[in-house]
Amino acid sequence: MRLSHGFVRGEALSCIYHGWSYGQAGNCLRIPAHPGLTPPETIRVATHDVEEVDSVIWVAVGTPALKPPRLESLIPLRSLTAFAGIAAIEAAAGGKASPDGLVEIDAPTGAVCLLLSAQEDGQTLIHVLLKGDAGLAAGIGASRAAESLRRRAEGLQREIAQ
Amino acid sequence: MTMQAMIDEWYPVGLFSQLDSAGRKTALMGEPIEVARDADGNARVTGGDGRALPVRVRYGHVWSSLGEPKKELFPIPEADQPGRRFVDVGVVRVRCSPLRAVENFLDIAHFPFVHTDILGAEPHTEVQNYKVEIREEEDEVWATQVKFYQPQAAKSASGGITTEYMYRVPAPTCSVLYKTCPPRPSEWDVITLFVQPLAEDLCDVWPWMALFDDETAMTDLIHFQQTIFLQDRSILENQIPRLLPLDPGMEIPTRADLTSIAYRRWLKRHNYTYGAQLVAQ
Repeated sequence: MRLSHGFVRGEALSCIYHGWSYGQAGNCLRIPAHPGLTPPETIRVATHDVEEVDSVIWVAVGTPALKPPRLESLIPLRSLTAFAGIAAIEAAAGGKASPDGLVEIDAPTGAVCLLLSAQEDGQTLIHVLLKGDAGLAAGIGASRAAESLRRRAEGLQREIAQ
Repeated sequence: MTMQAMIDEWYPVGLFSQLDSAGRKTALMGEPIEVARDADGNARVTGGDGRALPVRVRYGHVWSSLGEPKKELFPIPEADQPGRRFVDVGVVRVRCSPLRAVENFLDIAHFPFVHTDILGAEPHTEVQNYKVEIREEEDEVWATQVKFYQPQAAKSASGGITTEYMYRVPAPTCSVLYKTCPPRPSEWDVITLFVQPLAEDLCDVWPWMALFDDETAMTDLIHFQQTIFLQDRSILENQIPRLLPLDPGMEIPTRADLTSIAYRRWLKRHNYTYGAQLVAQ
């Protein structure tokens, strides 16, 4: 079970399954099934540096030389997981991602930016970003355009797999 | 993975009460099978190649096997006890290893976090010491003297009580739970988890109950159990790795996990490895 399914309380991150909670250094703080037990130092999880820039949370793999890119005029809308690789998403979008991982697609309500992040098992996390505060209709349009792109990309991925 | 040892075991393949002559297409350990009621009203199970598979009808369910079971289906004496209500809960499809579904059923430490305010609630999170053994004569895993504080232990419970549990694993994908019976303190309620392995990482789970409860409507009893199990499903479908690791690896068991440790050891001893992997990666 991933800790990302868990919950934050105070400065601790807890697992949703058995409630084991971890501090910022990755050390286990508490095992609820054994409240009298001080968790040994050996129980720890890997930690990564994080930064929040322009309302996007970035996780560092290793020690990156550069800061995360600025996405100043973009407003995050939602994130969705695609069962497709970045190449299939680029093919469906008809364009390559920028070095920052951004792909632009057209929605009936205006252009939308997608920030792509490769995950395990060939999946990709797609963060949908709006160009400026464009209102509810633009948000709905962008959301539908992203879902439609995901369907096309997953279709292409299935074709590649066959 | 080897199917050899597990192929000769009995597995649930459907509810007898819901069988008709048209039959039900399902699967057992990767093989397509069909479960139907024949002209005489008896259950019939057919393998993918048309061969007749062994059949038992017991505990509300039809049981079958791809191999040749060496043992009769395990007994549940409470199934013949007068005064109990028998509840066919139905089926829940879960994208997980059948062994993981059983292991999760044996775990109580997750109650306050997964079944919040029903089977457990903070701050009552402590798992007190309990007893675990592999009973050699019956060849079953047993956990006894398991106690846990529960806000709503059963549909019939009004308010929190400390519930006592006994767990039994009589077959690799089945578990029987004996639980404090609020309306009749001298008896145990029986709640089972019968798991049909469709594939190594896919199963149909058939909970079944034999309760002393003349008050609660059948629909409410079924809903209660379904609510609990759907909460478990969100956990089961997100477990990593998908197969159950039988050897110690990345995981850190505590005293609360003694039942799970005994279950894994028992599985390994019998080579019950369909849905398992040796070491956690």
